[in-house]
Amino acid sequence: MANKYKEILIKPIIAENPITLQILGICSALAVTSNLTVTLIMCVALTSVVSLSNLFISIIRNHIPSSVRIIVQMTIIASLVIVVDELLKAYDYETSKKLSVFVGLIITNCIVMGRAEAFAMKEKPFPSFIDGLGNGLGYSFILIVVAVIRELFGAGTLMGVEIFPLVSNGGWYPANNLLLLPPSSFIIIGLLIWVIRVFNKEQVEEKDFSLSKHDVSPNYEKREINV
Amino acid sequence: MKLPILRNFIDNQKPLFVGQGKYSKWFPIFDAIENFIFSSKSKTANPIHVRDSIDIQRVMVIVWLSTFPVMFFGMYNIGDYGLNYLNTIGASNTGDWHHLLISIVGYENPTVFSKFWFGAVYFVPIYFVAFTVGIFWEIVFAVIRKHEINEGLFVSSVLFALTCPPDLPLWQAALGMTFGIVIGKEIFGGTGKNFLNPALTGRAFLYFAYPSQISGDRVWIAGLSDQNIVPEGYSGATPLAYAAESGTNGLEANFSWSDAFFGFIPGSVGETSVLLIAVSAIILLMTRVASYRIILGTLIGMILMTSILNIVGSDTNPMFNVPWYWHLVIGSFAFGLVFMATEPVSGSGTNAGRWIYGGVIGVTVILIRVINPAFPEGMMLAILFANLLAPVIDHLVVNSNIKKRERALAS
Amino acid sequence: MNDSIIKTLSVAFAVCLVCSLFVSFAAVNLRDTQNLNKINDQRVKVLQAAGIYDEANTNIEEQFSVLEAMFIDFSNNQIVSAIEGLDLDSYDPVEYSRKDGFFTAIPNDEDIAIVKNKENYGKIFILRDENNLINKVVLPIRGYGLWGTLFGYISLAADLNTVEGLEFYSHKETPGLGGEVDNPRWKKIWIGKKVYNNNKNVSLEVIKGAVNPQDQNIDYKVDGLSGATLTSRGVTNMLAYWFGESGYKQVLENLKNG
Repeated sequence: MANKYKEILIKPIIAENPITLQILGICSALAVTSNLTVTLIMCVALTSVVSLSNLFISIIRNHIPSSVRIIVQMTIIASLVIVVDELLKAYDYETSKKLSVFVGLIITNCIVMGRAEAFAMKEKPFPSFIDGLGNGLGYSFILIVVAVIRELFGAGTLMGVEIFPLVSNGGWYPANNLLLLPPSSFIIIGLLIWVIRVFNKEQVEEKDFSLSKHDVSPNYEKREINV
Repeated sequence: MKLPILRNFIDNQKPLFVGQGKYSKWFPIFDAIENFIFSSKSKTANPIHVRDSIDIQRVMVIVWLSTFPVMFFGMYNIGDYGLNYLNTIGASNTGDWHHLLISIVGYENPTVFSKFWFGAVYFVPIYFVAFTVGIFWEIVFAVIRKHEINEGLFVSSVLFALTCPPDLPLWQAALGMTFGIVIGKEIFGGTGKNFLNPALTGRAFLYFAYPSQISGDRVWIAGLSDQNIVPEGYSGATPLAYAAESGTNGLEANFSWSDAFFGFIPGSVGETSVLLIAVSAIILLMTRVASYRIILGTLIGMILMTSILNIVGSDTNPMFNVPWYWHLVIGSFAFGLVFMATEPVSGSGTNAGRWIYGGVIGVTVILIRVINPAFPEGMMLAILFANLLAPVIDHLVVNSNIKKRERALAS
Repeated sequence: MNDSIIKTLSVAFAVCLVCSLFVSFAAVNLRDTQNLNKINDQRVKVLQAAGIYDEANTNIEEQFSVLEAMFIDFSNNQIVSAIEGLDLDSYDPVEYSRKDGFFTAIPNDEDIAIVKNKENYGKIFILRDENNLINKVVLPIRGYGLWGTLFGYISLAADLNTVEGLEFYSHKETPGLGGEVDNPRWKKIWIGKKVYNNNKNVSLEVIKGAVNPQDQNIDYKVDGLSGATLTSRGVTNMLAYWFGESGYKQVLENLKNG
């Protein structure tokens, strides 16, 4: 049994990562990853919401009428998100200011709804909780990698601590401003997907259409000099 | 013409690289070298270059050669401004590694040649780095993906280098080119499959990554950003910066239109001389490498949008009143129009689509230049934006053609 | 059975009830802490602008107590300690500049910093020394940059002319370019600069590029933010507006004359 839980927990981290395989939850991945501290808080917020919502939804799964199930799930998720937001405002005001609407937007994060609908509605509470935890960790893993790259090379710091002294502060490292802009996360996530799929071939999607092949063996008949 | 010694040598080496040969992994490099010296009698059988049936090697070489006039003039112009600046501050040393090379010819009594030499010392290393880094990535991908190395790189690297300011640090040139080739081209399948212009993608990367080193008033004159001494009344600002600051008045107070047309203004290496760009345009149009539809479409879009803004007018934004004939000669409009917008792979492929594609570029470049406060130059962003739209434009054109024919058939 | 109307309604009702209880409980219990956070956040910015913030001391209320907050009545440019119907501690001029009846629209030709509406009552923070003389004042300023309005505080020394610190608490400028208004090195440049010249005109400005150390007017010039011409200009305009006739100029005069 323990093995089964372990699998539920580990699988979403790389093999079935919600961001790089299912391409869900991208919007917050762009918005909150310019600073590692903020990212970590966001990861904790999302992980707790997705695992608790999975748990609660799973507990009452046998009583949810299918006609209103989406609304019931939404109500539970929304309540959890509001509470998380309130807690942040009370105990980490600085970060909550930087996260601004993005904590609230966890409600619309497809990972949370997706796990509730795909897993918690069918499985027992404890596995559901583990599944939520795993998916939250999968989300966190990607966000942290993106945030480390963006903050380290974009601002020369990690969690606000200076690693590379910037040229503008009298150091040697010229900051890469592109990384401070949200679109850079798109590129980084794209590259991460590339790397993961090089090692994990089964994730590669089937082609919609095939590009014509490059000619590997050109004609070897004699060539004439180029003039 | 035959060169038997070379031919035989290559033929003797060939077995090593083909099939089960010792170095078969490196076949793309061997092939590239052979292809560089000897051209194949066999023409492309399958659509590598899906848009056009002309031989890709020839296209690339024509474009590459047609950049030469602007490249040589650009080097002269850098030297002219750079030496003039150093003279103004009374320095006879650029203060960095460039000095070693420049001192061979010297700073005194600037002649045409010494100006040219000065510019070459700044430009050639950028081009060299761009080319080397480009060929490195090209080889990496060719070996892994087992395809041929392509002449497109000659064009991408020279265009990239020509859009850079002379003071660009070389490591930035390397980084920009890496981004352009890998993200702009190779990950989408390599030459002929890129939907963005690789040279511009690299340039855009640098623009957003290191804005303080690649834009502003300091970077367009060689040495200005290193020395950090700006004499009273001296400015390295480009005409575009003056236009953004104080409109037509500012432009005319500092530059004459003919200077801007002939190219005696500060700017990126290749973008200043509209006259020479026009010469290249004629070469490209005569050889049918560039599409006249894109060029005309862009011009029409630009003139139309400028006229609208001239009529609308604005009290707070002086750029509104800059007329189209100034927009034509300042910034990288002409350069982008002739060398970047006409790139056949990333642009539209249908004839009607080309008009629309050009129009989109022309309108967008003016909108960005005039209305967006953050970006004084809009040509790069306009072309990249139109690149993204190109497949949609083509799709719409093709669909409407199909419908037209269906209707014709039905009636 | 689950889909019967009664079951649907009762499940919906029960879920809503539990959730709303849960949410309200959290909201009510945390409200005081949140409000305190909000107020303290502003206080820290004021203290930072004044250059007297002590990071090690977490008791912000105690640190802030050295500052005396006052209203500015813009109708006669006098400083008053109470205005009827307004609570001095929680009064936020920015908030009231949007509240009906509490602001005046600024005429277009005066509105160089694109502030649009000016509050009728401003706020000033005064630091007094042991002889009860003014040592420092902190004033809120705001103005349009490149992408949006910058909000901040500026503090002046006892002569009500020398800048003691500048701190922005909210802006939308591009990170790495205009966003460098938050750069500690840049903020440090401001200390010691003078706002008004000998003719009592606002002369302090952010120039393009670096200030020449030999410049006679070095006291009135601040290095521009590289690559951020419009943000730099926005900061200059902000100073020109807020220290000009329609801003704090008369207030400071009155304060100086007692």
